[in-house]
Parts: sequence; C-alpha cells; structure tokens
Amino acid sequence: MARFRNRKNKVFVKPIVKKNQQQQPNVDHITGNKIPKSFVFSRGKLPGPIRQLQMDLRKLMLPYTALNLKEKKRNNLKDFLNVAGPMGVTHFLILSKTETSPVLRVAKTPQGPTLTFKIQEYSLAVDIAQSQLRPRCPQDLFKNPPLIVLSGFAAGDEHLKLTTTVFKNIFPDIDINTVKLSSCQRIVCLNYNKDTKFIDFRHYSIRLQPVGVSRRIRKFVQNHQVPDLRNLQDVSDFVTKAGYGSESEADEEAATVTLTSDLSRVNRASTKSAVKLQEIGPRMTLQLTKIEGGLCSGEVMFSEYGNGGNKKKPDSEEDGDNDDEMKDSDEDNEGEDSEEDIGESEEDEED
Amino acid sequence: MTMEEVSVAAGKRKRNPGKKKGNKAKKKKLKMLVGKGKKFRVSKKMRNLFEKRARDYNSDDEEEKKENSAELATPNDIRRGGVGGDNSSEGSDDSEGEQEEEGGGEVQPGVMKFTEGVRAFRLAFKNIVKKSVANDSLGPVLSGHKQLIAKKLAEEEAERKVKGEAKKEKHLIAEKGHVKPANYLDSHEKFLIGIATKGVVKLFNAVNKAQKAQKGLDPSRSKDAKVIRKRRKEAFFSELGKTSLPAHGSSSKGRNEEGPAWAPLRDNYMLTNPKLKDWDKVGDSAIVDDVGRMSEESGSDDD
Repeated sequence: MARFRNRKNKVFVKPIVKKNQQQQPNVDHITGNKIPKSFVFSRGKLPGPIRQLQMDLRKLMLPYTALNLKEKKRNNLKDFLNVAGPMGVTHFLILSKTETSPVLRVAKTPQGPTLTFKIQEYSLAVDIAQSQLRPRCPQDLFKNPPLIVLSGFAAGDEHLKLTTTVFKNIFPDIDINTVKLSSCQRIVCLNYNKDTKFIDFRHYSIRLQPVGVSRRIRKFVQNHQVPDLRNLQDVSDFVTKAGYGSESEADEEAATVTLTSDLSRVNRASTKSAVKLQEIGPRMTLQLTKIEGGLCSGEVMFSEYGNGGNKKKPDSEEDGDNDDEMKDSDEDNEGEDSEEDIGESEEDEED
Repeated sequence: MTMEEVSVAAGKRKRNPGKKKGNKAKKKKLKMLVGKGKKFRVSKKMRNLFEKRARDYNSDDEEEKKENSAELATPNDIRRGGVGGDNSSEGSDDSEGEQEEEGGGEVQPGVMKFTEGVRAFRLAFKNIVKKSVANDSLGPVLSGHKQLIAKKLAEEEAERKVKGEAKKEKHLIAEKGHVKPANYLDSHEKFLIGIATKGVVKLFNAVNKAQKAQKGLDPSRSKDAKVIRKRRKEAFFSELGKTSLPAHGSSSKGRNEEGPAWAPLRDNYMLTNPKLKDWDKVGDSAIVDDVGRMSEESGSDDD
C-alpha cells in the first residue's frame, strides 16, 4: 500500500522543486466539501489506442487523480477498493474492451452506482492536435480541475438524472465567490442527444482574448514581433487599418465577458474579453448501456437492452460473447437475472 | 546435368589411366602447351606430400580410393577459385585425367604444373558458365534438394501470409471505434463548442458579479460579513431567476443558508451524505426545492 501512496504523490513533484511533495487535501477548505478523487484504470489487456485513451482520460482528470497508476494483471477490483479507502478516492473510471466496442464504466466507491457506457467512437488527444492548425497546450493547463457542462439531460428519465449527478460529482465544486477565473482553464462538455441516445463527450481549453482590439495590434502585443511596415507610409496606417474581421469575430459578440481583475497583460480588468475554446483531449461518443446499483455488481437499475442485464465480467473478454448471446434472448424477469449477477460477482471476487 | 557427365567422364578416365578418352579439343590444346612448359621433378617426399593433400582434398570422392589417381599438384589455386568444390574437383579431375593421358616420363602423373592447372580450371569454369543456369532462386543445386527447398519456401510463404492476415485482423479489432477527426470544424462540433462557450460565459459573468459585489468588503469583519451574505443571497437568486448556470453553479446554491464564512464552522462541514444533514431536525425541504428549481432551469435552457 505504501507503494501506491508514493506514486500518487509523485504526480506533482518536478525534479527540482521538492516542496510539492505533500498529501493532497481531502477536503476543500473553502467550500467544505470533500474533494472527489479518481482512479482511471483498465481491466484486461487493452490494445494500443485504448491505452492511449486511458492516458488521455487520466490527464483529463488531473490534478485529482493518479497519473502514474500502475496495475498488474492480478489486481482485481478488490485491490483497488482497498487502496481507494485510505487515499480518499471516490470514483473509478474503468476501461475495458469487448469484441464489439470499448466500454467505459464510471463507478462511485465504495458502494456507489456503476454506469456502463459503450464507447461508439473515440478520438485521441494526439489525433485532435494533429487535425488542428494551431494546437494549444499552455504549461499549467492541467494544474486545475476542469469545469463541467451538461446539456440535454434534463429531459430524460431517472437514469439520466443519475448520470448527471455522478458526473457533477466527479469534478470538485467551485465556489463562485472565491474562485479565480485564471484557474478555470479547462472545460468538459457532455451533451445528450435525445434521438440517437448518444452522449457526446468533449474537452476544451479556455482562452480569453481581448476584444475590440484590432487583430494586428493584438498580435503585435502578444507576440512581440516587429511587424512588417514596408508597404505602409506611416505608422498610423498600421494602427488604423480596417481589415476584414474573421468570421469568428462576429460570433464573439455573444461570448464576451467582462473581467473583474487582471488576468494577464492583455486581459485587463473592466475590459471586454472574448472567451475562446479550443478542443484538447479525447473526444468520445458514449451510449449508456447499464446502471448497476453496486460497484460493478448489484441490482441492475437500468439496462439499455431491457434484458435484466447480464453483468459484463471485468476480467475476461470471453464473457463478452455470453453477454451478446444472452442479450438476444428474451428475459422477462429482471429479478431472476439480478440474482444471477450477484452470484457471478461473488465468484469473481474470489480471484 | 552436363556437369555430372563431365565428372562421370573424368571418373572413367581415372579408372583407365592409360586409355585415351575425353575431349579431343582439350587434348590438343593441352598438347600444344605441354611443350612450352617446364619440366618438374619431384622427390619421393614431395610426392607423398602431394598424395596426402590430394587425398584430403578429394576425400568425398568414391574414385579416390585408387590412390595413384588422386594426386594433385598445386591444388591451392584451384581451391581458392571458390566456384565450388565440385567445379574445382572436376577441373582438377579433368586436368588430372588429361595429364595421365599424356603419360610421358617428363611429367609425373597426378602432379600439375601451375599454369596448366590454371588453364584447365579456366576451361572447366567456362564450360560451366556457358550453360545457362536456371533463373531459379534456388540456384544450381541438385534436383531432389531443389524440390525440398521449393517446398520449404512455399511453406514459409504460406505461413507468412496467414500470420499477416491474422495480424491485420487483430489490428482492425484494436482500432475499432477509433476515429480520426476531420480537419475542419463541422456543424455539430461548432454546436457543441457553442454550448460550452455559453456555459463558460454564464459562469464567468456570475463570478464577476459576485466578486465585484464583495470587492470592498472584508469577510472577517462581522458587520461586513452580514452584508456579504445578504448580497450573495440576492445575487444568487437573481441569477437563478434569469439564467441557468452550468452545473457548477449548483454547488453555490448550497450556500443560500446562513453560515459562517469559514468552512469548519458550518453545519454541513464534511457532510458527505446530505440526507444526514439536520439529523436532529425534522425534515429539510430546502434541498428538494433547489433540485427542483435546477432541473427546471436546465429544462428551459434546452428549448
């Protein structure tokens, strides 16, 4: 157990500065709420891109997660549970792969509900960076936890409400009276689409840009690069030249914010700034398939296929076959199945 | 095939050293040269040495059992030819045979002059090279061996193919669901970014309002603390009335009760299960109202 503890602390230790080697606070001393911490790990051997996805998710959950968590084949859920207690870890994000698609489980320790999502599509952070013209990753982007925005969930049923609650609680709360805007640099957006029942998962970085300043001057001030004045008669031409605004500037009108304090040299207080988001991090399309009452066990509270749920065993892939087969068959009595599930889970935990 | 014939012919020649057989053209050429060559006398010691060398050299030949036929002079150059053991032995056999045919007292049987050995080798080599070697990847080998090698190669080929296909399938399964995003922002992405931006803007505006309101006030002074609390409550309720905050706003809704600014002094400090709040009181309807209000809010947002 001491092993784990050391690894978690190493997340924040830079080679030079040693003073950061303290335990993370368990309780936010401003809001008084418990800070949720998470483990992101995988069950079973995962192919390459999914391992990358796991790393991306870990970075997303920073700083309140174990970045260098190492798991062995013989670790099972019980081991993680045992470690989670003393370290104050509240959520598990478990990735696994079945024949059809990768699966993400979001579970609340120690006995919380488990939401099972099927990952229909995903894109890695590196893919997204490659697709962008100017990928952006400032130095301390991952120092602060992200904000979270959920949309489209309200119209849903109980299971969607539970989903919103779980996701809201994964990230620490912010107190709007004391929060510093400069510390809100990332945002996670979850959008539920009623028709397709898919949840879009996106992760953006927030950037504030002063508005009302012409582009050239802004770039000049930010980049400190001497502009090319060859073709101009006079400096006033440079300053006052009316250029065509870019398309996005028109949209910015709605997205402007007035700042209370100086965030940086260019974003000064009481001037308008525009909020610009750029996508970083993984992009996923999820489908909620199952909600279980226990931690990867227990009563099935909701199941997409209406079949009383056959618990996907976390350790082996073969049972994915079983699941698929049984989903096709008709099962009427949910109660019977949940008993079977509990039986199966007991067997598992004896591993 | 022809090489075998040559070697067979050479073998025959060896068995009947006295008889004149073999290629007449070769004989003629050799005859011409012999006169030019020097005489070479060997002592008995040297002869034994040459015999021994020849035996070692031709140790895999059957005909070698006849000792007097197996002598070679200057085998070094022939060995160094490096074309193949067969060729050199054939060459040497050839030349040997021819020498023996010459007979004659001047040149000892089984012992070659350097130049003649080289010439003979050259002739033999030329003959071999003249034959068109089959453009087979296996090269000039014996036919039985050839088939074996061909089979082996075919097997390896098949194995590789199967492995390659298995790998491809594995790769496909691994990549399932992995989608590379497009270079441009399509409309759906723009829509999602718009939603997130709206959320951020609302949050920032709310934060700005709240923080501006309490800019001049110090939370530790009790008088001011009251003012702060009051303002917060008002600001909150007004915000709630107007807009729907992103989910994080909900955390602050919990503060609509009176409470000290410092966390441990509040009633709900480290209270993980909100149901246990006010455990000594009857019921708490305030929380329920908040939740209801919040869901209304988000409902209105999505229309």
